[in-house]
Amino acid sequence: MTDATNLDGAVTLITGAGRGIGQGIAEVLSERGAVIALSDLDADRSLVAAEAIKESGGNATPFGGDTTNQDSMDGLAEAVIKVFGRIDILVCNAGVIGAPGYQDRHEHTEEDWDATYGVNVKGFVHTSNAVAPHMQSLNAGRIVNIASHGGRKPRGAKAVLGNVQSPYSVSKAAVIQWTHLLAIELAPNNITVNAVCPGTLWTPMWEKIAENRRTADPEIAEFSAREVFEMSVKERMPMGREQTPRDIGKTVAFLASDDASEITGQALNVNGGAVMN
Amino acid sequence: MSETSAEQLKGKVAFVTGGARGIGLGIATVLAERGATVAICDLAQSACDAAVSDLGTEGYTVLGTAADVTDRDSLEGAVSNVITALGQIDILVANAGVWASEGYQDRPEYNDADWDLTHSVNVRGVVHSAEAVIPHMKERGSGKIVNIASHGGRKPRGTATGRTLGLPYSVSKAGVIQWTHGLAIELAPFNINVNAVCPGELWTNMIEGIYANRQNLTDGGSGGSVREEYDESMQNTVPLGRGQTPRDIGNAVAFLSSDDASEITGQALNVNGGARMN
Repeated sequence: MTDATNLDGAVTLITGAGRGIGQGIAEVLSERGAVIALSDLDADRSLVAAEAIKESGGNATPFGGDTTNQDSMDGLAEAVIKVFGRIDILVCNAGVIGAPGYQDRHEHTEEDWDATYGVNVKGFVHTSNAVAPHMQSLNAGRIVNIASHGGRKPRGAKAVLGNVQSPYSVSKAAVIQWTHLLAIELAPNNITVNAVCPGTLWTPMWEKIAENRRTADPEIAEFSAREVFEMSVKERMPMGREQTPRDIGKTVAFLASDDASEITGQALNVNGGAVMN
Repeated sequence: MSETSAEQLKGKVAFVTGGARGIGLGIATVLAERGATVAICDLAQSACDAAVSDLGTEGYTVLGTAADVTDRDSLEGAVSNVITALGQIDILVANAGVWASEGYQDRPEYNDADWDLTHSVNVRGVVHSAEAVIPHMKERGSGKIVNIASHGGRKPRGTATGRTLGLPYSVSKAGVIQWTHGLAIELAPFNINVNAVCPGELWTNMIEGIYANRQNLTDGGSGGSVREEYDESMQNTVPLGRGQTPRDIGNAVAFLSSDDASEITGQALNVNGGARMN
């Protein structure tokens, strides 16, 4: 890297990069000079997102990949290394809010626990397992895990909207703890591991959350999903505004840059102050 | 396509307390390199002048203005000098701090003077610094405040040391973190971000004194120099195996002061090689 805040030429693998937060991270890191390998379960989405980055002058290559499957992640890492020769930065981002049908439930199910644990926790473990040995051989690397401020201690006195989001929050707390432990494990190899905890963003995931809340609360049933989202932002955010995928990308860019070489094992909320640590 | 680090804080004015040496000077240096005009505030005008002259030699625009952070009037005067000279303050770095009161090198325990001094400099000094710039930042509808706390202000780690000398300092730094949370909520409606950076152990005058204290109390410790003892401790207690530098802290301050961090407020970020995690 030639400049402290830039990522010139750094090969970056991002999971769940086909839309939402992952796509925003890919855009920003590309603008900062990184070479992007986008992975998504839906390879078509990777392709479209990669095309968009290339159109803006960036260097992006699409890949598929199922983070719940170790072999798939091993194959992904191998394919990326084959194309680019190395992986400098890994962003574990692919995540789910719950099992299919989440927006219509107010109580969590076994499937919600399995889906969130399988993707949000084991998916990150598989991805790091696939990439860490390579980074160890380089004696350098940056891993950034996308958690959530929902993985921090709960705030507020009452659960008025059911407990359907509990499995998600528990899985994101696990991502934070996984970040701590992996940081200690990989520190001797000069690899830093940190987490970013996004606040409230208008993504396909939050659309589902808003749908879910509308149906749980008769008082807001008349509002659109976007209006429910805006109410939540107003209620929870000291800064009074939503975050965007690009905001998350900017913090990932910092944690992946030379400027953050002494930061490891930390989780940083990017949430307008809604939860503080 | 992408901006360089030299443009990260272009056009911004930063006010750094305790900016003439140690961590504060490292922060001032990085902010200057990132394009900011820096006002260095320290207790002695001579110290400010020396820092200004060093940074000026490097070609950076720097101004020095002495103030005592424990004295609200003195800080208000310094802030007013800076606004008169430079027109604005975009970034406040409340960094001035103390470890313990005089003679601590030879004591294993804290005394009342330690509690008073750490509270008045590390807590009240940080409060005064914010109070001095808040009206100006509110008026402009923007601002960044970065408080320098310490990872010692987080929950303690490790087993009994048999020494309590560092407790007033740790309590004061926990106070800085809580102040950061509270002030962030208060200033969010004015588009002012307030965050804290929690440095780990850096080889500064302060740390040299702390390790000298430990050595004095253990009959010379392992027999090595104070610096050797520090390096050994870093290898054993920091996952990345090394101490941090004032510039490392400056890098994190630069990020939190930049447009890139506009959605980050009320947070405390450890820059400590993973020695404590939050």
